[in-house]
Amino acid sequence: MEAQRSFIGVVVKRGFQGIVAAVVMWLASRYLFHFPPVFQVMFVLYALLGTGVFILLDAPSLSPVSGIKAIALLVGFYVVVSLVFIAGASALPQYDPMVEKGKIEKIVKPKLAATEKGKIEELLKRTKELDAESQAILKRLETLGGEKAKRIEASIGGGASAGAAPRAGGGNLVALGKEQYELQECYNCHKIGGKGSVKKRGPVLDNIGNLMKTEEMKEKLLNPRAWMAEGFEKEYNKKLMPDKYKELMSDQEIDALVAYLSTLKDASVQTPKPVKKL
Amino acid sequence: MRGVLKIVLVVAGLLFIGTAVAYAQLPEPRAHEFPYLGNRGAVWVVAQLHILFAAFILGAPIFVVVSEILGWKNQDVRYERLAKEVTKVTVILYSMTALTGGLFIFVLLATYPQLTAWLINHFFAVFAVMYPLLFIFETIVLYLYWYTWDALQGPKKLRHIMLGVLLNIIGLATLIVIDGPTAFMNTPAKFAEGGMDLKTFIETTATLWDKMNNYSWWPLNIHRTVGNVVFGGFITGLIGAYLYLAAKNDEERAFYDWFGFVGNLIGVGALLALPFAGYLLAYELCDYDASICPYMMADQLSMFFEMQGAMVGLIFLASNYYIWLSMKRIEGLEQIRMRTTTLVLMASIPVVFMLIWTKFPIPDKFALILPAVWVALFVIAGRFLKWTVGAQTLVKVAFLMVIIGNAIWMTPHAFVATQALAPDDGSLSLPHGELSLGFVTISWGDLALMPAKNAAAFTLVFVTVVNYILYNRALRQGRITWGTIDFAAQFVLVFLAFSAIWTMTLMGAVRELTRKYFHVFNLLYDFTPESYTPTLAYSSWVFTGVTVTFYIIVSFAIVLTLRTGKEKAPAEAAKGVPAVAGAE
Repeated sequence: MEAQRSFIGVVVKRGFQGIVAAVVMWLASRYLFHFPPVFQVMFVLYALLGTGVFILLDAPSLSPVSGIKAIALLVGFYVVVSLVFIAGASALPQYDPMVEKGKIEKIVKPKLAATEKGKIEELLKRTKELDAESQAILKRLETLGGEKAKRIEASIGGGASAGAAPRAGGGNLVALGKEQYELQECYNCHKIGGKGSVKKRGPVLDNIGNLMKTEEMKEKLLNPRAWMAEGFEKEYNKKLMPDKYKELMSDQEIDALVAYLSTLKDASVQTPKPVKKL
Repeated sequence: MRGVLKIVLVVAGLLFIGTAVAYAQLPEPRAHEFPYLGNRGAVWVVAQLHILFAAFILGAPIFVVVSEILGWKNQDVRYERLAKEVTKVTVILYSMTALTGGLFIFVLLATYPQLTAWLINHFFAVFAVMYPLLFIFETIVLYLYWYTWDALQGPKKLRHIMLGVLLNIIGLATLIVIDGPTAFMNTPAKFAEGGMDLKTFIETTATLWDKMNNYSWWPLNIHRTVGNVVFGGFITGLIGAYLYLAAKNDEERAFYDWFGFVGNLIGVGALLALPFAGYLLAYELCDYDASICPYMMADQLSMFFEMQGAMVGLIFLASNYYIWLSMKRIEGLEQIRMRTTTLVLMASIPVVFMLIWTKFPIPDKFALILPAVWVALFVIAGRFLKWTVGAQTLVKVAFLMVIIGNAIWMTPHAFVATQALAPDDGSLSLPHGELSLGFVTISWGDLALMPAKNAAAFTLVFVTVVNYILYNRALRQGRITWGTIDFAAQFVLVFLAFSAIWTMTLMGAVRELTRKYFHVFNLLYDFTPESYTPTLAYSSWVFTGVTVTFYIIVSFAIVLTLRTGKEKAPAEAAKGVPAVAGAE
């Protein structure tokens, strides 16, 4: 009885200390660190976890149980632990797979189309589409007279030639290059317009269009050892820039990326000077 | 009869693999759609289950042999019994490893036939010759080891121990061989700089050795070997906890109390090295391709690492709590004291080491020298300053440091799951406020960077080592009665095993996901619609499902093999009687 009373005293004392710690943590994480709510909650939970641990340290021994009671206790324990782990993982900010899916499709689709399997699939798809189109035309021809049918035939021919028109002009190339910059996740190491890597991995690129010619940029992309940004000796020596773009990007994609980078001519942003290495 | 069943299961597993290898040779195998889980989910679950079983059967024999040697050298029957009981469970789980391994290959072949065929053709000697042969040798040696246990006693004991050593050598070789293709999928070998492109190299001139000896092969071997010992230790703790709960008398309780203690000691001992082995693997992945690093730490997988931080913190808290519970029942604990300098050193580590590693990043030589000097200063100061603190105070401060260390580990760099989606006004980055201590300035932003994480990990390790030193001192100077540990300690052991498995599934998924939209990184695209990073919330259901399934099977294996076997051999009673702490 005495032990129970003293443990209640411990719970009250530690509980009070824990609440004070939690409030301090909350105030600090909110007003000093400016953490968003999910991490304010996290630090408050740490304070409460600490409180729980310190209460447990002084807790009296648990009475042993056996048989069915022990099994039930174990099963209950597993259920609680499982739910706590799932809840913890679910409470953290979640990445939206739809964003990544869209990006991956843009990267992977042209590669699939380039494979044998992709070509066959594309052909089959096109055959089916053409088949459906011809069926529809036949049906319409059946319902219309001869002159009208000729006019439709002519209009189909015209449509086909319109579809064969070139798709990309100069402006499109820059847009395509910007898309490549996003798809290849260049922002993980570089910054443009203040947006991008929060760590120093690669140089800012805002004024790169004034510092490098297109051939030089292309050379750097295809062989990262060829050029080094001034002040990035350590990163250059660690070979941080991946040597993979010549394999993963098509010639058109590289040209597009270079075209986009060439438009970056904001002299007001300090951009490290490129140094020829090889 | 049970032995025959085990052999049938192993043979079935091998047949699965053999058929799969043959099937892969067929032209244009067709992919099947797996119901409910989807193809990726099905492979994920089966592969993870297989790895969990494999981790135990490879990790457990390492300390089983050590335990057998200790029992033999010290003439302590408890070590011998521990080794034998863990081996008994290992034999059962070995069959499950073979079965899930075969099932894994089959599911992989049914759902990703082209990839499987590609991999088998590139690693034909591994899949068709080395792995099956090693598996057969391992099966033979494991069964020999188990079935000759009683026959090779007394003067023949050394032969039995040698069999155990051989078992470990074959097990390690199996792990190393199969890690080759696994690591290759993450970091396929490149041709020397400026030479052939990756695809041409791999498809034309690369030898099997070129493919095996890739960037992450050895880091993965080291990480998995250490991880397997951790895993084996915690599962031994789980076996101890189950059998303690089911114990019928004081003798059994005493033995299984000690059994659980040893399991936890092995698990925690190896756990101390695990963060560093993991760091080495991550370092090599980033070194291979710098784009992997932001994907892991700052982009889609960043919250997986937050969860890992939370799990590691919980595991360290629980293992230290177990030490505390174990220490509480030692008579004379109140007289155990330690130098105050140890306490101050412990409290200083997160800040001082963070500052050192920020100024001199690892592997700079000062990154090693300065922390060593700092520790040495306190050791020397401890010689002259005679102030001491009680064991209980020290342990309480140690718990506080575990919580602080873990909170630092969890401090994020940016507040969204991906920096790619962060607005460009900098509102989601840490405000880089500063705190001046007079002689040094600490930036809040530094708390989020790797030096702080390393300092936090080191704090967790250091605190645990200090706790064990303290515990060891208490054991030598006090008096312990095995079997009288707080009942809550058994739930701590259960929790440790559950958390270790969960964390292992979490980190296994992270390693697989770093391949992004590739089956083989930068080499073989994954064209399936499931080629994207799943959310952590969804993944946590998979981790939990796999962990619970594994737990159910292991629990049955423990109950079936040990509880039923015990009734037949009551003579093998333990020497688990009250003893002077630390007595041989």
